[in-house]
Amino acid sequence: MDNPYEVLKADVLNVIEESPQIKTFQLKLEKPLEFQTGQFVELSLPGIGEAPFTPSSSHYQDPTKMDVTIMNAGFVTNKLHQVKAGDILGIRGPYGKGYPLDKFKGKDILLLGGGVGLAPLRCLLLTLIHDIDDYKSITLCFGARTPQDLIYKDQFADWRKINKIQLSRSVDEIPKGEKWDEKVGVVTVLLDDIKIDTKDAVAVACGPPIMMKFGTYALIDKGFKEENIYLSMEKKMYCGFGQCRHCVMGKYYACKDGPVFTYDTIKNEEKIWE
Amino acid sequence: MNISPKNTLLVRVADLVKFFENVKNDFDIFIPYTSNSDNDNLFYKKFRENLDFVPNKFRTIDPIKTLFYFTSEKILPISNKKRKRIIFGVKNCDIQALKVLDSALLEDNFVEPNYKMWREKSYIISSDCTDILPSCHCNLFDINPYPTKDSDKDAIFDLNFSPIDDKFLITIGSKKGEELVELLKKYCSVSNASAKDNDKLESQYAEIRKKLTDNNSEYSSNRKYEVIAKGDSEKKWKEISEECVECGACTNICPTCYCIIVNDESENGKFKKVRTWDSCQLNGYAKVAGGASPREKLWERFRNRYQCKFILMNQNFSKLGCTGCGRCISTCSAEIDKREVIQSFQEV
Repeated sequence: MDNPYEVLKADVLNVIEESPQIKTFQLKLEKPLEFQTGQFVELSLPGIGEAPFTPSSSHYQDPTKMDVTIMNAGFVTNKLHQVKAGDILGIRGPYGKGYPLDKFKGKDILLLGGGVGLAPLRCLLLTLIHDIDDYKSITLCFGARTPQDLIYKDQFADWRKINKIQLSRSVDEIPKGEKWDEKVGVVTVLLDDIKIDTKDAVAVACGPPIMMKFGTYALIDKGFKEENIYLSMEKKMYCGFGQCRHCVMGKYYACKDGPVFTYDTIKNEEKIWE
Repeated sequence: MNISPKNTLLVRVADLVKFFENVKNDFDIFIPYTSNSDNDNLFYKKFRENLDFVPNKFRTIDPIKTLFYFTSEKILPISNKKRKRIIFGVKNCDIQALKVLDSALLEDNFVEPNYKMWREKSYIISSDCTDILPSCHCNLFDINPYPTKDSDKDAIFDLNFSPIDDKFLITIGSKKGEELVELLKKYCSVSNASAKDNDKLESQYAEIRKKLTDNNSEYSSNRKYEVIAKGDSEKKWKEISEECVECGACTNICPTCYCIIVNDESENGKFKKVRTWDSCQLNGYAKVAGGASPREKLWERFRNRYQCKFILMNQNFSKLGCTGCGRCISTCSAEIDKREVIQSFQEV
């Protein structure tokens, strides 16, 4: 019988400093770990702890390789940020459900991301780019607190070159001495300028709870249907497959029924934004 | 032997002890005993010849999950060296609780490896209640204080023992139960039960049911549970939870609570994971690294236990997460009685 807690060894090949708080860890796994974009893994730091993350690399990548982008936000992630190339981590999964890409086909797709929320969205974006002919257009609305908090800084130029991609960015504020010539304001200000027919479009949002909440309201305001708004939910998780019960949101488990839910599915459950 | 829902066999209590003595090298045998320091409660302990075997009249204080889903247990790597065991005297509240745990841990895509192994290695001999504790209230959930085999499928119990005078009347619940009867026959004389024995059993059933009904006469049995999650009930929950000290005893002692945390205890290049019980009553249970928590306030955590047992588990498993064992009532240091809490919402 398979043990759902079985761990694979993951060698850290490289650590990229994306922002003062966020790093991307490039991993080489001892065995292939296939996943669908939207699913997540549990990454463990031996002897310290483990936490759930969505890969930030495409599911089309070599399945023995994976990027995971992590913000220094709590006990485990703080220790993970001390990890260097050559260190060994553990990885188990994948868990949860992937994005229903079939439902995205032929449509305008908008990705709304804030801060480290860009990590799972990059996984989705790279997958969409791989099959770009299947989609009508991709609109990226990405935000961060300040210009230096934006992650994947060196990749935006490449994405802007792709015909079907519209990319806009915002920062909440510009600290003294930093340069920024794009939008200023919370990420939802970017929605004012989108040029797609929102009634039939798909929106995917990932970011801090407050952004998810007001982002969802803004998307509805712009005409997106509730069943077309996909939210990547962050909840406390231990097991990853519905047995520790920590991520329960009403009758749903964020882990095995999610972590991505359409807004119409969860809108009546209590306290989804906290 | 055919599995029959009819009670057909009898074994003498004194013979059963002989049986335990004879098989104790092949099985770990767990039996409810009183403790030297606590004469009011029964605890599962390993069978010992020098301890008096008295068939337990009511449930143990430790829930059955302690024998299947330990307080703390290594889940990676898994140890296969688990001994077969016989667990005697399991009451129906715990049998029903195992049904909930089976739904949660065995019947999905992911199977809990240790729990599955312990379930397979265990022979469960349940027994009828012949007395009740003040906190007992299984009748409020339409659960009888005696397990019965209600379908052709294997029951949760392998054998059920119904005490009649100085004998037990045996019901076979599963194929494992058939095996156990064969083993029993090796060491004890097993005779056929008479119609009179079965009549006596029926009257015992009626008697114990009446005790429970009388014990819980102030609580309605057709209770509505959705009302406990009503949006405007905040003030009421605050009042009810005022005395709660957030010790988490109610969830630890609950036979259907199975929340856990997972710790990484890897060392020397070997991955090792350990799971340990957790409690939704404790602050921090659902808090994420960024600081967000869906249940910051005590009353919200207190209410969560009720929502989980009576609404969410029912949605998840099509069964309630409460079997009326009453342990949370007997253990609560604030003397909060779950029956009264639910009842107070019925009377609004």
